[in-house]
Amino acid sequence: MRDKKKVNIKPWLFIVPSLVLITLFVFYPMIQAFITSLQTGMGNNLKFSGAANYKRLLTDSTFRKALFNTVLYLIVQVPIMILLALAISSMLNDKRLKCKGFFRTAIFLPCVTSLVAYSIIFKSLFATDGFVNAMLMNLHIIDAPIAWITTTGFARALIIIAITWRWTGYNMIFYLAGLQGIDDSVYEAAAIDGATGFQKFRYMTLPLLKPIILFTTINSTIGTLQLFDEPMNITSGGPANATITISQYIYNLLFKYQPNFGYAAAVSYVIVVLIVILSFIQMKVGDDKE
Amino acid sequence: MKAKKVIAAALTASMVLAGAVPAMAEDGGSKITIWAWDENFNIKAANEAKEIYQKAHPDVEVEVVTMAQDDIVAKLNTSLSSQSYDGLPDVVLIEDYKIQGYLTSYPDEFEEFTDVLKAEDFAEYKTGVNVVDGKLYGVPFDSGVAATFYRKDMIEEAGYTEEDMQNLTWDKYIEIGQAVKEKCGVDMCTLDPSDIGQIRMMMQSAGVWYTDADGNVSISNNQGLKDAITTYKKLVDAGITKQVADWDQFVGAFNKGEVASVVTGCWIASSVKAAEDQNGKWGVAAFPKMSENEASVNASSIGGAAWYVLKNVGNAETAKDFVATTFGQDVDLMNQLAEDIALVSTLNAAADVPNYSKGSDFFGGQEIFNDFTQWTSEVPSVNYGMHTYALEDIMTEAVQAIVGGADMDQTLEEYQAQAEAAVMQ
Repeated sequence: MRDKKKVNIKPWLFIVPSLVLITLFVFYPMIQAFITSLQTGMGNNLKFSGAANYKRLLTDSTFRKALFNTVLYLIVQVPIMILLALAISSMLNDKRLKCKGFFRTAIFLPCVTSLVAYSIIFKSLFATDGFVNAMLMNLHIIDAPIAWITTTGFARALIIIAITWRWTGYNMIFYLAGLQGIDDSVYEAAAIDGATGFQKFRYMTLPLLKPIILFTTINSTIGTLQLFDEPMNITSGGPANATITISQYIYNLLFKYQPNFGYAAAVSYVIVVLIVILSFIQMKVGDDKE
Repeated sequence: MKAKKVIAAALTASMVLAGAVPAMAEDGGSKITIWAWDENFNIKAANEAKEIYQKAHPDVEVEVVTMAQDDIVAKLNTSLSSQSYDGLPDVVLIEDYKIQGYLTSYPDEFEEFTDVLKAEDFAEYKTGVNVVDGKLYGVPFDSGVAATFYRKDMIEEAGYTEEDMQNLTWDKYIEIGQAVKEKCGVDMCTLDPSDIGQIRMMMQSAGVWYTDADGNVSISNNQGLKDAITTYKKLVDAGITKQVADWDQFVGAFNKGEVASVVTGCWIASSVKAAEDQNGKWGVAAFPKMSENEASVNASSIGGAAWYVLKNVGNAETAKDFVATTFGQDVDLMNQLAEDIALVSTLNAAADVPNYSKGSDFFGGQEIFNDFTQWTSEVPSVNYGMHTYALEDIMTEAVQAIVGGADMDQTLEEYQAQAEAAVMQ
C-alpha cells in the first residue's frame, strides 16, 4: 500500500513546475481580473462597487458595437477561411502537383509575417489612392476609387480580407498534416468503387479530418474573439468605431482613455464567457454520437 | 581552506562594489530623461533647451527620447498605475486634453511649479487645464491656436480675395469651397470620419466643450455642440471635402495640392511649409466662426501640450529646474524656436520677441506669428475635463449618425446617457 503511494507521487512531481507556473501566471491573474472587474474608479483609485461594471455593459452602445463587429468577423470570416484552407490543402495534397514545396511555402508564408507589419502594408495597399484601387480601376471593375478605410462596409470587408490572408495558410498546414495521415489505400478503394473527386472529399476527407477541423475551428474562434492588431493598425477601429473589436475596446478603456481597470476587466470577462460557450458548442457539435 | 576564504572575500568585495557603483552614479552627476513626440517639432525644441541648459549646468546630462504620443500615454498609464518608476522619464510632454485625467488618476506623481513660476505668465486657456487648486503643475508649451491655412491662388481663381477670408464664417467658407470645387476641381478641405477635431474647434470657438465648467457631460443640452454638428453636416453635405483616414493622408492631401485649405492648429505650419513648390501660395486667416451661434468667435484651439515633471522617478529637482528655466521663462529660446520650428509660444513674455514680427516668405510675407499671438489671446477658455478622448470616440458615432440623417436631438439624447456612463467610474 505504502509503496504504491510513493510511486503515484512521482508523476505529480514532474508536473509541479508547470502547475505552479500556470497557477501563478494564468489562474491567479484570472481571479485577480475578476476581483478588479467588481471595482470602479479611475487609475489607482479603485473602490468595490459590486456588479456596477456588468450593469454598465448592458447599456454601453460602444461595447455592443464591438461585440457585434467581433461576432460578425467570427461568423463571416472563420467559415470562409476554414473552407479555403480545406480546399487549398486538398489541392496541395494532390500527387500530380509539381512544385509542391513552393506552393506550400507561399501559402504558409503570410503567417510568419508580423501582425503589425502586414497590417500597415494592407493599409497602404487599400488606401483610397493605393494599389488595390488603382488595379481595380485599370481593370475597369470599378469607376471611382473605393474608400476602403473610411466607409463602414468596406472597412469591415477589409479587416476580413486581411485576417483571411494572414491565417488561411496556418490552418492549411494542419489539414495538410492530417491529409498525409490518411492512407492512400482508402482513396484507391473509393476510386475502384467509382467515387468522384468531390465525393471522395465530402465522404472521406472531411470525416477523417473531423478532429483537426474541430481543433482549427476552436482555435480560429478564439483567435477571432481576441482580434486586435488588424483593426488597431488598419482602421484604428474607425470609421467612428465601425470596425472596433472587443479587445481593442479593452485597450482603449485602459490606454487611450483615462484608465478604467475595473470596467476593462469586466469587458474582458465577456470574452472569457464567450470563448467557453462557443468552444463548448463546437465540441458538442463536433462530437461523434457514440 | 584558505583558498575558499580568499574567493569568498573576493566575491563579497565584488558584490559590494557592484552595489556601490550605480549608487555613486546616482549621487554624482545627475541625469534627466525627456520623452516627447514629433521629431520636427517637440524634439527639436527639447534639444535646443538642452543645449542652453547644459551651458549653465555642464554636470547635468540630458537625454531626449523620441516616442510616439500613444506609446507615452500607454507607458505612463501602466507604470504610474503599478507605481514602478523604472525606465520612466523625469520630464514628459503631455497633451492638454489628457493632463487633467492624469492629475486626477495619479495625484502625487507630478511636480508642481507654483514656487518658481506664475500661472499668469502663460496664456490663460493653457493654464486652465494644468492648474489644480491654485497649484501649477507643468509648464505650458506650444499654442494649439486654430487657423485657416488656405491656397491664395485657388481662392483667387474661384473669384474670391484675401479680403473675403477675414472675419470668416463657416457659411462663407463653404460658399468659397463650392466655388473652388467648381473652378479648380479640388476639395476645400479634408475630413476624417474618426477624428472630429473640426467639431472640437467649433465648440471651443463658442466657449463650450463636451463637458461643462464643472466637468459634467454636456451633450444633449449643448447648443454650441449642436451648432457645431449642424455646421459639420453642412460641410459634409456641400460635397467639398476629401475623406482621409490618417495623418499621412491628411498631410499628403494639402502637400499634393488636393485641397485648397487646412483648418487646424498653428502647429501644422511646418508641415504646410514642407511642400516647397507651393512657396508663396499660402495665406493664413483666423478660424471661421459659426454664424448661427452668437458666442462663437474667430479663434479656437486644437492640440497643444505642456511639459510635466514626474515627482517620484529620480531627479525631480534637476528636472524641475531644467523645465522652469528653459521653457518656463527663457524668452530667447522662444525666439529661436519661432525661427526653427515655427513655435507659437504660450509664454506671454514671448509675444514681443523679434522673430514674431518677421514676415514669412512662404506665406507671402504675412506676419503669421503676430496673427497667431493675437488669436491665441482671443481663444475662449474651456474645461477639457478628464475624458475628452473617451467622449470623442462616442461622439464620432453620434456625429456619423446625424450626418447620415438621424434626428439630432434624439441622437444626442441617447449619447448623453452613453457618455455619462463612460465618465462615471
